[in-house]
Parts: sequence; structure tokens; C-alpha cells
Amino acid sequence: MKVGDPLPTFTHDRVSPDAMRDWATFLRDDNPIHLDPAAVAALGLGDRVINQGPANLAYVINMLHTAFPSGTITALSTRFLGNVRAEDSVIAGGTITSLNADEAACDFELRVVDGEPALAGTATIALNQQVS
Amino acid sequence: MEDLPPPPDAAGLSLDGSETYTIDPAENARLCRSTGVEPAADGTAHPIYYYIATQVGMGKTVAGLCAACDFDIDDGPMMVGSQASFTHLLRVGTPYRVRGSIVSLTRKRSRKLGVMDLLEYRLALVDENGEEALACTNTWALPRKELA
Repeated sequence: MKVGDPLPTFTHDRVSPDAMRDWATFLRDDNPIHLDPAAVAALGLGDRVINQGPANLAYVINMLHTAFPSGTITALSTRFLGNVRAEDSVIAGGTITSLNADEAACDFELRVVDGEPALAGTATIALNQQVS
Repeated sequence: MEDLPPPPDAAGLSLDGSETYTIDPAENARLCRSTGVEPAADGTAHPIYYYIATQVGMGKTVAGLCAACDFDIDDGPMMVGSQASFTHLLRVGTPYRVRGSIVSLTRKRSRKLGVMDLLEYRLALVDENGEEALACTNTWALPRKELA
């Protein structure tokens, strides 16, 4: 592993409206854009419910865990760029931007397959379990 | 910005939670599986709980946070950014308390959204020993259609 290397990608196939209902419960947030296609249409945002932003970030975290199985995430900085909708498939990936014996840093992105980026950002991972 | 009225004076408003928040092991498992992975076997929670625990455990609902900025949640607040810094791993079954406040509410013109307020708030998750497990700063865009 070295600076410039791509991280192994993590794919989530077909984002489920049922999962969005679960996330509405996790987040205690019943914003109808995640639950009701008619509410999405009324806001001019299309005809499919929109995945919660934190769920999109969770796919990226899963990618980071796969890339650094014994590492610990110590920092995340995320920009939310676009929407992921019901039945979309998404792919998370990244690139190592710095690396030493104790710590790795990387850029990351989540993109709708055959579509636009949904989020991007940076992460720092402790490689020697400095976080307990 | 001289032609726009100032945004509500929300900076400094406390978001301290009044009750503790505990990550339920069964919910953590459900959340992990909804994203395509199995929960950790060592009692650690999915790190995305940094966002969930602080949001749920803060002293206001999302609608209440919007209302504090004179914004109706039905007008469509949008997450635009989040920064998190972890000091400790998050664990299921551990009660955490949320401390936080609104950092700023800034009015801007955006080519994409028209007039909007950028809401920035900081939240920290503190364990029962008073140690900060993490801190995050979240940014939301609140479109001000009435000013467009």
C-alpha cells in the first residue's frame, strides 16, 4: 500500500425504500423525502424517495473498514454533493493521500453507478489501534 | 448582502441534550445489515453512529433545530457537510450525553439554491466518565424561497 493507490471499492446494490424507513427510525427523522415519493415529486426532486445522507456515508465507512481491517477511523470530513434514490446502486472508493507507520489519510467518494457523485471527502485512519 | 434582511440570531443557542443516548445493540445490527455488512463482534458500534447519536441525543429534534432558525422543515433543509473527529470508539450499550451549540447561521446567495442560510452546529458525544468520545460539526443549507 502506498500513496496514490486506490482503495478497494465497496458496492451497495439497489438502495431499498424499506431501509430508508429503518433509517428514519434510527435518525428519529420522518422527513417525507425519504418515505413518500409524492413528497419528493412535490419538491421537484424526481419520483423516487431519497436516501438519507448518513446512510450514504455509512457505505463509505464500510469501504474504509474493508480497506483498513485493523485500522480505526479517527477523522472524517464529508461534502454531500447529490442524491441517491431508491433502487440506485452505489459504489464507494478512494485513494491514499498520505501514509506512515501510524496513520493513513485518503480521499473518498460515493458515486451512483452510471451516475453522479453523491458525496466526497477525506478520512484519517489510525493503523495501530491508538483509539480505544 | 445589503439588500437581504439578516438571518435570525441563532448562533450560540445550546443544543445540549437532556437525556443520555445509548446505542442499542439490536439496532446497530439492523443498521449494519441495512448497509451490507455484519455488526462487529467486539461491542463497537458502526462509526456512522457519530451522526445518529449526536442528532438524536441533542436537545432539539431536526424540526426544532430548523424552527430555531425560523425555518420550516417542510421547506427542505439539505445536509451539505459534516466533519467528525473521534477520540474513542463508539460502543453499544454505553450511555452518552450530547453537548453542543449552533456555531453560526449565515445568509448567502447561491446560483443553485437562490437565497439560503447556512447553518453550522457543533455537537460532542461525552461518555459517563465525562470523556469526549467524538465531536462533529455539521452544515445544512436552509433554502429561503421567500427571499428568492
